[in-house]
Amino acid sequence: MIEARGLTKRYGPKTAVDGISFTVQPGQVTGFLGPNGAGKSTTMRMIMGLDRPSAGSVTVNGQPYAAHRSPLTEVGALLDAKAVHTGRSAYNHLLAMAATHNIPKTRVQEVIEMTGLQSVAKKRVGGFSLGMGQRLGIASALLGDPKTLILDEPVNGLDPEGVLWVRNLARYLASEGRTVFLSSHLMSEVAQTADHIIVIGRGKILANAPVKDIVDGGAQHSVRVRTPQATQLAELLTRGGATVTSDEPSLLQITGTEAAGIGELAAASGIVLHELTPVTSTLEEAYMLLTADSVEYQTESAAKHVGHGVDAPADAPISEGAQR
Amino acid sequence: MTAATVSPARPTASRKPSARLSMGGILKSEWIKFRSLRSTWWTIGATVVVMVLFSLTMAASLNFAASEPEMAAEMGNVSTVQALVLGYVFAQLAVAVLGALIITGEYSTGMIRSTLSAVPTRLPALAAKAAIIGVVTFVVGLIGIALSYLATAPMLSGNDLVPDLGDPTVQRVILACAGYLALVALIAVGVGTIMRHSAGSIFTLVALLFVLPLVASFLSQDWVQDIAKFLPMNLGTAMMAVTEADTGGVDVLTPVGATVAMAIWAVVSLVAAGIVLKRRDA
Repeated sequence: MIEARGLTKRYGPKTAVDGISFTVQPGQVTGFLGPNGAGKSTTMRMIMGLDRPSAGSVTVNGQPYAAHRSPLTEVGALLDAKAVHTGRSAYNHLLAMAATHNIPKTRVQEVIEMTGLQSVAKKRVGGFSLGMGQRLGIASALLGDPKTLILDEPVNGLDPEGVLWVRNLARYLASEGRTVFLSSHLMSEVAQTADHIIVIGRGKILANAPVKDIVDGGAQHSVRVRTPQATQLAELLTRGGATVTSDEPSLLQITGTEAAGIGELAAASGIVLHELTPVTSTLEEAYMLLTADSVEYQTESAAKHVGHGVDAPADAPISEGAQR
Repeated sequence: MTAATVSPARPTASRKPSARLSMGGILKSEWIKFRSLRSTWWTIGATVVVMVLFSLTMAASLNFAASEPEMAAEMGNVSTVQALVLGYVFAQLAVAVLGALIITGEYSTGMIRSTLSAVPTRLPALAAKAAIIGVVTFVVGLIGIALSYLATAPMLSGNDLVPDLGDPTVQRVILACAGYLALVALIAVGVGTIMRHSAGSIFTLVALLFVLPLVASFLSQDWVQDIAKFLPMNLGTAMMAVTEADTGGVDVLTPVGATVAMAIWAVVSLVAAGIVLKRRDA
């Protein structure tokens, strides 16, 4: 269980984390989602006592991390794939970490096997690929058999097999009743792994809800219609209560009614349709929508894409950050 | 990375319930970290080699002085034990690098975040590093002196110049040399913690250990000399001096006073390091 209250981190004039409060529950995987620079890593470093909050507080399993008498058995963290001395072998790194807490060598062997590092364990970390570095970071996190796991971008650099492994591992650990808090900037990744999602953008929490709510709330269904009689159809549809937008003279984007209804209406009115396509926005779009205002380094095309395709439904349950 | 990667996780398999953070465990961890880096052994090797080479040079000078009256007059009555410890002048640089790298190596690689996650109260990790560096450099100093003794004895025995290891003064100088190297290494641990960068720390240490004493030696003002007495290199000379000739005629503190002054350098450096380590974001 992780509890943050009014957690704030300022670097000079820049506020990286802006008074966020949240609770990460045990027994489920909680995804921490946000664009690069949103404050995910800073928040995780504050949980681990590496960065000192400018204001507010955060506790893990009821106490500040540093107050625990056996920190590694309370929390295991992968904060940075390469928080390891490059001149040391993976085995010696784990052995040294284990020694601090009197964790036996057999456990070191166990986490090496668990993360598939057997063949490279005696090699120096400097020569590791990003994927191997990630595995070593995860091995370190598991060393103390901790009640809470904090994984910052755990799938970065992993091959598809590794991604699947991390996903299963996270789910397995949560099923054992542990708290699993993992960050990502990829909605699709989190949606496949997490039960609950906290979305952060520009240091503020934009959404904090079960995965299903976020996905449904963000996803928008619309219908694309191409017709030479666009004006006429638009008039009929608007009268029927649908919302119609148009980017091109013969192209309509319709929300608020189903494709079947539009087709029937067109047929009844003798309107010729050249195209009738239901459009469902992807998870990625739902996420873009949530964070559109909070992307620190927004590219022009991304801005255009967001402003163009999907407009926030006013009744979305997560509309706090979505309304523009 | 294709080996057995999707094997089911067994995070609870065989951990003893006794896992707990302890000072003994932190010391053990720091020792594993220290011994598992190649740079450690290279630097220790360099320290010993430098000490032996300097001893051989000094022994050759002593031998020469014993047979040439002119040279003898120039050397004065330099104590023979200097042949064993003179290497400290360069060995101090090697141990300073060792002391700085134990912490800057962690900052430059990101290891510090792992270290401070395991020891979130932070100061025990610094204390353990300092303890290991202090003990190791003291022992390395003694080893360097022992090898110097063995290397120079055949050369010096012809003129009956071999230092008498049973002589309390000789013993004092040997301990002073090893102690000086240990204190320099502790200063370096502090400087490394404060500066966090290897290059910056080593530059600072070279300036402190070599450049400042050198600059001071070119200046004759009394106040400069008063300050120069307290620079580590000159304190080292004072700690290891037996006769006036051992100091090269420079005005220095007494051996005890110099030892205390060096200890203060080390304590100040480590306390400052502890304060910034505790306060700073990692």
